[in-house]
Amino acid sequence: MADHSFEEHVGEVRLRVRAESLSELFAEAGRALAALMSDDPTVPSPDAPGEEVVVRARDRGGLLVEWMNELVYRSETRKKVYTAVHVSQISDHELHAQIRGIDATDLRTAVKAATYHDLRIDDCDGEICASIILDV
Amino acid sequence: MELERLSDVVYQTTGATRVRVLADEVLIEQIKNDHSLVQLMNVTSLPGLVGTAIGMPDMHEGYGFPVGGVAATLAPDGAISPGGIGFDINCGVRLLATGLERAEIETIEPIVHELSRSVPTGYGRGGRVVLDGSEMERVLREGCRYIIESRGLGRPEDLSFIESNGSLPEADGAAVSHRARERGHDQLGTLGGGNHFLEVQVVEEIFDETAARAFGLSRGQITVLIHTGSRGLGHQVCSDHVRVMDEAMPRYGISVPDRQLACVPLSSPEGRAYFGAMCAAANFAWSNRQVLTHRVREVFGRKVGLHPDRIRVVYDVAHNIAKLETIEGRRVCVHRKGATRAFGPSSAELPPQYREVGQPIFIPGSMGTASFVLAGTDAAQGVSLASTCHGAGRAMSRGAAKRAVVGAELRRQLEARGIVVRCPSNAELAEEAPVAYKDVERVVDVVVRAGVARRVARLVPIGVLKG
Repeated sequence: MADHSFEEHVGEVRLRVRAESLSELFAEAGRALAALMSDDPTVPSPDAPGEEVVVRARDRGGLLVEWMNELVYRSETRKKVYTAVHVSQISDHELHAQIRGIDATDLRTAVKAATYHDLRIDDCDGEICASIILDV
Repeated sequence: MELERLSDVVYQTTGATRVRVLADEVLIEQIKNDHSLVQLMNVTSLPGLVGTAIGMPDMHEGYGFPVGGVAATLAPDGAISPGGIGFDINCGVRLLATGLERAEIETIEPIVHELSRSVPTGYGRGGRVVLDGSEMERVLREGCRYIIESRGLGRPEDLSFIESNGSLPEADGAAVSHRARERGHDQLGTLGGGNHFLEVQVVEEIFDETAARAFGLSRGQITVLIHTGSRGLGHQVCSDHVRVMDEAMPRYGISVPDRQLACVPLSSPEGRAYFGAMCAAANFAWSNRQVLTHRVREVFGRKVGLHPDRIRVVYDVAHNIAKLETIEGRRVCVHRKGATRAFGPSSAELPPQYREVGQPIFIPGSMGTASFVLAGTDAAQGVSLASTCHGAGRAMSRGAAKRAVVGAELRRQLEARGIVVRCPSNAELAEEAPVAYKDVERVVDVVVRAGVARRVARLVPIGVLKG
């Protein structure tokens, strides 16, 4: 069962995510970003139009940063929050996902970008944990 | 980390690493409460670093550089790091002097209300200026000159009172991605969120009559302070180029203790591309503050019949930027992240009106507290790489501020003091409460005692539009 939490940072927000698999870790990170941005937990119906996403990076940590930044970019330009996230394929260098969003004109927290600062993805007790700082 | 106290307000590391912090005995303890000193130490790993990495008295933990961190690298082959500028490229402040006396205005509420209708705030809110491809190209290349001369959103005289005349010639639009342009295409004339704001103020006290006269400020006058930056366009420029540098560093044999400090030689293809894109984003930010200036002039015209010519730009200065400057005879790339340029009277870059007194510097306080106008000094080159603080400096996380302060109560307190507040929610208001910040008076006192700036005027808020 994947979960996430937000920790305090003087100026920004630290997101911690934990999951049983890498694909679920990245999916949960995407859902956590939506939860940070908006109070609205609505998940669009499976019939709602989805978006195919492919992200590439040089390593696992870079992939998480690029994945978050991809969602930030799509949210800002399409005025959506992506509450439905499915990661269908993942390696340390490439991710394929399907996302569906709800319309959002006003957000609770504006996220500018994900950072590499203090970025961690570790094995922890048979699960995978990640920590990433978001500039808000 | 061992810090030696060189003077009342200057601390420096004792070992081989080169870190200097401007602070007094209270602020240095606050600075030690987070990881900003470690982050400043990390900055010394940048290839080509000249002198010391310097922390301002408002310094706090960030990512890559601390917020309030300054470092110079030798041009052209020293490093440039997007982490030394941040995502909000050319976040900065612009002060407008209205020429109106507070006594001339019966009530400020209609003005603040009208400003809130004219200036979009918050995330993803577009403005009335929507740029097509060729218009965006001109904003990126020409900055404020295009906004004023071709779009008519300002007075030609405004340009002289903007850092670099609101247009960096090194801007390279080709290095700005399609995604960055897409994010910024409808964001000119918008504040954004977080700690951005537009504040209507009154000049409460003058400390330096000569400088105040040169800046056009007088006691009792109404001023407007604008704090915003390059919005989503700048955020995307930073994200794009951090990624490129993260991958390119090994080719240049560079390793850094924090990946957000990713850097390459300024003279490398990747370094030149980032610098060109950053300059273009800076032009976008100055254009943003120029469109907002036009909106302020429109609002004062509509609400109190003030002719737009009466509102003049005192100055506009960035606090997240890298600039090529000559410091003590050497050509260097100065990274300022949460730090303000502080040029003294001898600088040829200042408009003739300010050459006797130095560059205007604006230090906003936290919500509801005073802001300061300072003037740069020639001594700042040697002490702080011609830099000074940029605000009060955050001391508490946003979450902690919301737990410590009841937003509705803060709003009542501000209103009881005659400050009109427009903010999307009480929770967001609480995030920017004074308790979340250091004492701006103390921060300003340090830079004055360090000799990097002189106090000119103190401004108090009467209306706040929070981003």
